[in-house]
Amino acid sequence: MAPSQAGYAPTLEKLLKSLKSQSLDASIEALIFLLKRRQVKGDDCANATARMLLQLVARSQWHDVDELLLKVQRTGARLAQAAPHEPVIGNIVRRVLGLIRDEATEDRNADEFGSESVTDLQSLPVPTRPGANPSRPSLVSIATTAQMSKSMFNLLSVVDTADSPMTGASTPVSQAQTTSAQALRSEVIDGIEEIMDEISQADDQIATFADIQIHPGDYVLVYLPSPAVERFLVKASAKRRFTVLITSLNMPKATGEAPYAALRKKLNAAGVQTINLATNGLMAYMPRVNKVIFGAKAVYQNGGLLVDSGCYIAARAAQEYSKPVIVLSGVYKFCPEDPADGVSSAELGNSSTFVSYADGPAVDAFEVENTVSEYLPPELVDIYLTNLYVSFPGGVDVFEVLLLLTVSIGAPKLEVILLESWPTTISPKKWDILSSSTHEVVDAMGYDAAHIQAQQRTRSFPQSPVGSFGN
Amino acid sequence: MSKQASKGAAAGKAKKPTKAGTEEKREDVLQAVVLADSFQDRFRPFSLEKPRCLLPLANVPLIEYTLEFLASNGVQDVFIYCGAHSEMIEEYIHNSMRWNPAHGISPFASVEFIRVSDATSTGDFLRDLDGRNLISGDFILVHGDVVANVPLDAALAKHRARREANRDACMTMVLREIGDQPHRAANTRVITPIFVVEPSTGRCLQYDEMHPLQSDGYMILDPAVFSYPEFEIRSDLIDCGIDICTPEVLALWSESFDYELPRKNFLHGVLKDFELNGKVIYTEIVEEGYAARANTLRMYDCISKDILGRWTFPYVPDSNMVRDQAYKRAREGSCIEDGTKLAKDSKVTKSVIGRRTTAGAGTTITRSIIGRRCKIGQNVKIENSYIWDDTTVGDGSSIVNSILADSVIIGKDCIIPEGSLISYGVHISDGTHLPTTPAPRISLLTQEGKPASTEASLVGKSGSGAFFKETTGDDIDSDNDEDEVDPSALDGSLFYTHPNLNLSSESISTLASHSSFDSDDEDQATSGFLQAGSSNSRNRLSSFASNDSEAAAAAEKSDAFHGDAVHGLVDALRNADSDDFDSAKLEFMGLRLANDASDGMMRRAIAEAFVSRASELLSPENGGLDSKKAAETAFTEKKGAVKFIKEVGVGSEKETVQAEFALAMQKSLLDVNGLEGSKAGRLLAAMLQQLYILDVLEEDGILSWWGDSRAAETEGLRVVRGECRDLIKWLEEAEEEESEEVTEDEDSE
Repeated sequence: MAPSQAGYAPTLEKLLKSLKSQSLDASIEALIFLLKRRQVKGDDCANATARMLLQLVARSQWHDVDELLLKVQRTGARLAQAAPHEPVIGNIVRRVLGLIRDEATEDRNADEFGSESVTDLQSLPVPTRPGANPSRPSLVSIATTAQMSKSMFNLLSVVDTADSPMTGASTPVSQAQTTSAQALRSEVIDGIEEIMDEISQADDQIATFADIQIHPGDYVLVYLPSPAVERFLVKASAKRRFTVLITSLNMPKATGEAPYAALRKKLNAAGVQTINLATNGLMAYMPRVNKVIFGAKAVYQNGGLLVDSGCYIAARAAQEYSKPVIVLSGVYKFCPEDPADGVSSAELGNSSTFVSYADGPAVDAFEVENTVSEYLPPELVDIYLTNLYVSFPGGVDVFEVLLLLTVSIGAPKLEVILLESWPTTISPKKWDILSSSTHEVVDAMGYDAAHIQAQQRTRSFPQSPVGSFGN
Repeated sequence: MSKQASKGAAAGKAKKPTKAGTEEKREDVLQAVVLADSFQDRFRPFSLEKPRCLLPLANVPLIEYTLEFLASNGVQDVFIYCGAHSEMIEEYIHNSMRWNPAHGISPFASVEFIRVSDATSTGDFLRDLDGRNLISGDFILVHGDVVANVPLDAALAKHRARREANRDACMTMVLREIGDQPHRAANTRVITPIFVVEPSTGRCLQYDEMHPLQSDGYMILDPAVFSYPEFEIRSDLIDCGIDICTPEVLALWSESFDYELPRKNFLHGVLKDFELNGKVIYTEIVEEGYAARANTLRMYDCISKDILGRWTFPYVPDSNMVRDQAYKRAREGSCIEDGTKLAKDSKVTKSVIGRRTTAGAGTTITRSIIGRRCKIGQNVKIENSYIWDDTTVGDGSSIVNSILADSVIIGKDCIIPEGSLISYGVHISDGTHLPTTPAPRISLLTQEGKPASTEASLVGKSGSGAFFKETTGDDIDSDNDEDEVDPSALDGSLFYTHPNLNLSSESISTLASHSSFDSDDEDQATSGFLQAGSSNSRNRLSSFASNDSEAAAAAEKSDAFHGDAVHGLVDALRNADSDDFDSAKLEFMGLRLANDASDGMMRRAIAEAFVSRASELLSPENGGLDSKKAAETAFTEKKGAVKFIKEVGVGSEKETVQAEFALAMQKSLLDVNGLEGSKAGRLLAAMLQQLYILDVLEEDGILSWWGDSRAAETEGLRVVRGECRDLIKWLEEAEEEESEEVTEDEDSE
């Protein structure tokens, strides 16, 4: 084993390993403090949240759906509050909540309508669109969407009886409660496992678009490449010969080693040239660059991004030279939050990243603010690459975008309730096709349908990130 | 034993890495010992009612930082030693969801409290711990007031590796480097720790402490240090008391029943006795991360500022490490908890404000930390101050550089000047202007913890509280006799009387001068030490202390030292079996350390030793050599003797010092029995010449002795001196005709 793992300090791997031997509460608490200490961050957050919720569903005591929902809500809220700078956690929690409601409703419908409706459902035609895009994503995500849409259909058909968004999916006390709870448990666990699969496959799925986006001879600028970006580049390097400009913060560390050595090694091995850039060299290189690629930490409702700090400068430089900015983001990073709510305020990190605490006069003289993440407005983004589908112009409402996405996947057509606040930029012609897929999109984003319906009445989008799954 | 255990665990881990949960059952769980009482009263009057480690630092009890630090490093078992107010600490931990293992979510497998009823020092705690056999392997020893985010994994791994290589490697100290220029945390130090470290291994060779009030501005390097190929003398290390120890450390504590302090006594002692016990102590010098101890009020201030500056990340208010806190970052670099009510036109900059605190219109709060449920009126000005929970501040008051404890009531239009410490429940009535000097410390209790009678002149008519005096309170303003103050008293009382919340404050002259001494100290230390590397001389650490006056103080010591030292050296010179002088040198240095001998004392002792050896050689039973031969034999017979005289006896190229040595030889000759004046004089001349030839004394030094009036004070001295006239003449006349002159000189004898 690597010597680093022989240490005592808690890490996510250790936590995940010890999940079974530890009590559930202790595991959750441990994760919360890993988050608070920033020992778990970035892409690990989504995975860790999903795994913790899986444990919660599997191991905690609950007897009906309401109880389970409450538990997930509470734990989810605690996790989200532990790391307010990681909106992805909230996304995962919302998705799990939506999943539970779906499954619960399905069960209830099965109770109410008997087996008939189920057969009806299964016999539903799943239309394949003739013009389906050849570069559609892997079967898994389609399967997932299809399954979700089935459940969505059921949900919608009974949703009228729901009182409020929060309890919309409550299950009436049933005589077969225990069995249904067990069934529900295993279904929800399956669902969460699917979410986990989706999270773990997202980067690979995004990378399948690499050779479409990166062309031979391209100069590609990456800024603080995230794992998704790294995978994207490596995948592209299998087929293409291009040049990567790796930009990192201008931070000479004691080690003297250039950052991203592993990535450079991999790319060089594949015959791709790499150039290291400091932030201050960005503008000078930009005229030669063909495209700029970032990984997003989160994508907000308006299409704006939460990114590593410094991306803004790179994106702005790209805009100045009219170079396309491509953003890689799994769909699970799409958040319903609006940056206007103040969620976009930059996270501050450790001041000693830039000024050593040993440097006495500087410590006394400066107010050091080390922003580790920042908001990138949608105007600066040209293409979003997701694990579901590629590419749309920046500055478009994410919902609209997602509609386009699902349409091109060829999702089954369903009856929907339209949101009246929907943007009107989409031609009426497309409406029926588009609307048919709305709910997978909504589902994929973790909205629960009941909630959307409520929103439709009030004609506005949810305001608070936490509000949608309870406080 | 723990060596085997860790090996076994590693092997087991390698074999079945997939089996989840086995990790928990590793035998070598990491244990930690928290010393929650430091036996100091620097935080009084606040620590009268609450133990220091429960005092809020940025609205979080200090001990939370320590425990969080331990948890983040994977500690499993925690033993907390409490002294004063132990029941409060126990209750706090017991009620804490986060730390009490009974609640099932604690990162610790066990938290145990140990009470020692009659403990008066840290040493008592550790000796008690040794008796309990609770510690099975390596453990981390920390104080209950540490704020740190340094990861210990690397240090632990290195410690373990060293232990497996050498069983005597018993302790690793985690030290933080300061860098070229000291920062504010380093500037608050009164005692400068000095570590002599072997840079390649990090082994600590010697430890000493310097403080500005010591009469002797020297630190004496242990001669053993020079046997290492290289060493660094560092005063640029912050020592925040984080030690990785093996159980042997406890045994060492038990062996020395009089050790009290972990550094000054224990570390110094163990390193000094390396020859005896063979124990080796290492340092782990970290260059990144934050580590500090809130052990003085100035450090409290400094760490609070660092928390606001996010140097302690992730231990910052908006991380909300404590369970029920909900701070959010707000504009202007502040952290404000949900549920505060701040008037629209109040201005809050770089501050932390707790839940349910209200601030009225026109109030400005700058660089301050305010607890929960405080009521702050209109047009209040609060600057660089720390206000704990439930305090009320009336309209129009101003508070600068002060600490206000829980439930204090400040009336309207009061002025709380710099450096004020206002303890629990004090009430200051409307319109009171507290005096600026001495900095007010107001408490409801007296030093003995009894209710104090209210001083209406201080707190106003309707107020309650009295000036808090302490026993050593005399030196509050007695800056003049500071030279006589015991350093620990300085550390305690000066900080206490002058918390010096603002370094630039002019009113606190004592401390300002001390802190400037401190930095001077360091500079000089560095330069002095650089010389040490090349010339191996004693190091001049600071310039402000006189070192002649110590003779009287140490008079009785000096006699004992002189006798022993001379005896030992002469024995070594006589010893025909060995021509190695090193052991004698070691012995001499040992004596020197034991008696805290001054340079002058050493000089006299060495001079006398060689003189008596030389005069012995003159006598018939020892061969009846002539004076020249005797002098030569005395100095060169034993290898290393010349070097010894040069480094230890004379120790400097300054002519005054060399003259002193010559004078010491002259005086010693008078005391030799059976040696009449002229013969003694000839011997002196021969010895001086010999030393000149051997490059120990220089021309200027000898001439300066010749011109010194003390050399001719008495008749006897004059006679002895007279015989050296030829030598002086020779020295004065020519250097270029050296060979000729030597012959002539021989003739004159």
